[in-house]
Amino acid sequence: MFDLLPHLINGLSLGLLFALIALGFMLIVGVMEQINLAHGSLFALGAYVALVLLGPKPPLPPSLLEWWLAQPMGLRYALTFLIAPLVVGIVGIPIELAMRRTYGKDPLYGLLLTFGAAMVIEEAIRLIWGTRDYVLPIPPGMSGGFIALDLIWSSYRFYAAGIAALVIFLTWLFIEKTPYGSMIKAGAHDNEIVRALGIDLAKLRMAVFVLGTMLAAAAGIILAPIWGIRPHMGVDAVVPAFLIIVLGGVGSFWGAVTAGLMVGMVVGLSGAYASEWSMLSMYLLLVALVTFRARGLFGKKSILEA
Amino acid sequence: MSATRFTRRRLLQGSAMAAALTGPGTFFGPFQHNRAYAQAKPIRLGLTCDASGQYGASGQDDLRGIRIAIEEANAKGGVLGRKVEWITADTETNPAAGSRVAERFITREDCPILIGALHSGVANAITQVASKYGTIYLNTNSSAPSEAGENCSRVKFVWDGNGTNFSKASVKNAVDSIGKNWLLLTNDYVWGHTTSAATKTQVEAAGGKIMDNLLVPQNTRDFTSYLLKIQQMKPDVVAAAVGGDDIKALRQQVAQLKLDGKPAWINNQQDWPDIFGQPESLFGVFGTTWYHKLQLPGVAEFVEKWKKMAGDGAIPVPGNVSYNGYMATRELLRAIERAGAVNNIKIIKALEGHKMPAAERMQHFDAWIDPNTHQVQQTIYLARRNAKPSDDTDHYELISWTEPQAALDDAAPGKCKLTPYEQVPTVDA
Repeated sequence: MFDLLPHLINGLSLGLLFALIALGFMLIVGVMEQINLAHGSLFALGAYVALVLLGPKPPLPPSLLEWWLAQPMGLRYALTFLIAPLVVGIVGIPIELAMRRTYGKDPLYGLLLTFGAAMVIEEAIRLIWGTRDYVLPIPPGMSGGFIALDLIWSSYRFYAAGIAALVIFLTWLFIEKTPYGSMIKAGAHDNEIVRALGIDLAKLRMAVFVLGTMLAAAAGIILAPIWGIRPHMGVDAVVPAFLIIVLGGVGSFWGAVTAGLMVGMVVGLSGAYASEWSMLSMYLLLVALVTFRARGLFGKKSILEA
Repeated sequence: MSATRFTRRRLLQGSAMAAALTGPGTFFGPFQHNRAYAQAKPIRLGLTCDASGQYGASGQDDLRGIRIAIEEANAKGGVLGRKVEWITADTETNPAAGSRVAERFITREDCPILIGALHSGVANAITQVASKYGTIYLNTNSSAPSEAGENCSRVKFVWDGNGTNFSKASVKNAVDSIGKNWLLLTNDYVWGHTTSAATKTQVEAAGGKIMDNLLVPQNTRDFTSYLLKIQQMKPDVVAAAVGGDDIKALRQQVAQLKLDGKPAWINNQQDWPDIFGQPESLFGVFGTTWYHKLQLPGVAEFVEKWKKMAGDGAIPVPGNVSYNGYMATRELLRAIERAGAVNNIKIIKALEGHKMPAAERMQHFDAWIDPNTHQVQQTIYLARRNAKPSDDTDHYELISWTEPQAALDDAAPGKCKLTPYEQVPTVDA
C-alpha cells in the first residue's frame, strides 16, 4: 500500500486552489445576490491578459516596453499578478452597469445576462487569441520539481497554493478589518439598511463586482500553468466555484474556504484510491451535505427552519 | 458555409420531383426509413464536428480538412456535375449533441451523408442515427477499436488508425526493451477503455504485466494524484490512453515535474491539435497516421495547398486530424463518382475494399478499406519529440512506420457484424 500523506498534502493544496476559484464568485453572490455565470470567462480572461504581459511583445509604449522586458521574470510575474486582475476588473465595470437593471427582479434576468456576458467574453478570446492552447510562462525558480517523501513534487503547485492562501488571507483582512469590508458585510446582510445609513449602494455593488472579477482573474493566472490556457478553460472553473459556494453556504467567506478545502481533499483522495470517482466525488459530497444541511456548511438559517 | 437557403416548400417541390423521376419504388419500397432528396440540387454534406468541449480544437481542425476536400472537388466542377455544399453544427464533444445534430442534418437539412468525429461516444451516437436512416457516415478521427468492432455499421466508415493498431505497433518493442511492468492511464469513456484493453492484450501477449489501470474521468484538469500514485507504484512503462484537453493538461504537469524520462511513457495516439502550441510538453513515444514533414512525394505540395485554403487558422500546418478529414472526404467524393449516383448502397459498395495507393495518401504503404469492418487499414507511425526541429512546426521525430498488415486489429472482424445491404434503408439524393 502506498502512503496516504502525499495525497493529503495534494488534497490540501488542491483545496486552496478551489477555494480561491470560488472566492470572487462567493463575494458577488453574497453581496449582490446575483449568480455571476461570467465568473469562468473572467477567470480565463485573467490568464490571457497575463499571457500577453508575460509574452515577448506586450502592447506597451516603446519606452515602457524596453523597461518591462529588461526586468527579471520574477518581477514581471509579480507585477503581472497585480496588473492583469486590474485590467479584468475594468472589464467587469460594464457588466455590473448592465446588471443594474436586473437588481431586485427575478434572478433569472441576472443569470441570463451574465451567461450572455460569458459567451461574449469567450468568443472575444477566440477572436483575439484564436482557439489554440498556450502555456503561461512562470519564473524559473517556481517551475520544476523537488523531492520529498521519496517523491517528486511540482514546485509550482506549492507556490500556487501559497499564493492562493495569501490572496484568501488578504481578502479576509480587507473584509474583516477595513471600513470598506464592513460596508460589504453590511450590504450582504441587509441592502436596505445600508442605503438608509447613507452608503451609496450602487458604488458598493460596483466595488464588490470589480473585486470579484479581480479575484476571478487572479485565480485564472494561478491556475493557468497547471491547467493550460484555452478559450473554454473558464468552464472548468465555474462549475466547482458554484458547487463550493453552495456547499459552504451562500455568502459565507469561511464557508467557501472550508468547502474548497473539503472538495480538494475529496478529489485528491479519490483520485489516488478510486480514480474513476475523482470528478464525481465533489458532486457526491454536495449531495451528501445538502441532504442533511440544505443551507450548506455556514449558510444563514432560513426562517422556514425552526 | 453554404449560402443556399433551403425552405420547406423547396424540399416538398424537390421531393415530389425526385419521386416522379425515380419512380415510386424509392418512396414506397419495403423499408420504413427510405429517403429521397431532390437530385438536381447540390449534394449537401452534414459535417458533425466538435467546436467545443474536450475535442473542440481537434473538431475544428477536422473541419478544415473536410472543407478543403470539398472546395477542391467544387473547383473541378463538382461531383457528378453537382456542386457539393456543406453545413456544420457543434457536436460539443457530447453524444447527446451528436445525436441531435445528426438527426437534424438528416431529417431537416437534407444531408444524405454525414462526416466528422473525434470522440468515440459522439461517433457511436451519430452512427445510431445514421444507421436508422441508412445515411452514410464517415468517422474521420475517432480511434476507439470498438468503432470498427462491436459498434461498426454498414453505413459507417472509420478513417483513423485505432488503439489496437497503435498498440500493435509499439507495445512488443517496449516490453522487450524497456520493461515488463506496465501501468495503464485510461480516459474513462469508450475510446480510453477499448484502447487500454487492446494495450493490455498486447502487453500480456508480449510477456508483460499490467500493475494497475487508473481511470481518468473526462475533463480532469489536475493530475497530481495520478502522478503521485505512478511514482509510488514505480512501473517501467505508463501507457496513456488520454485525449483532448485532458492529455494537454497531463502533459503540462508531467513536464513540470520532469517525469517524462522515467517511467517511460507510451501515449497511444497524439492528435496534432493536442500537440500544437505545447511542443515543450511533448514526451514519450506516441502514434500517428501522418505528419506534415514526411519525406514523401506530394506532402510538401499538400501542406502548401492546405495553408492557402485553410486561411488563418489557429494551427498553421495540417496534422493527422485534418489529414484524416481531408482524405475521408476526398475518397468519399471519388466513390460517388465511381458509383455514378448519390445512392447510399452504391457508394458503400464503391468504398468497401477500395484500395488507395501509398502515393495518393502520402503515406509509406498502400491502404485499403476493410470490407468486413469498414476501417481504413493504413501505415502506423511512431514518433517522439523532435530534439532538433527544422522550424517551429517540426515537433515530431518519426522513429518507425509499420505496414498496415502488421498492425491489423485482428479481433475487429469477429466483433463487427455488418447489416446485410437489403436491410439498410436506401437513400438517394
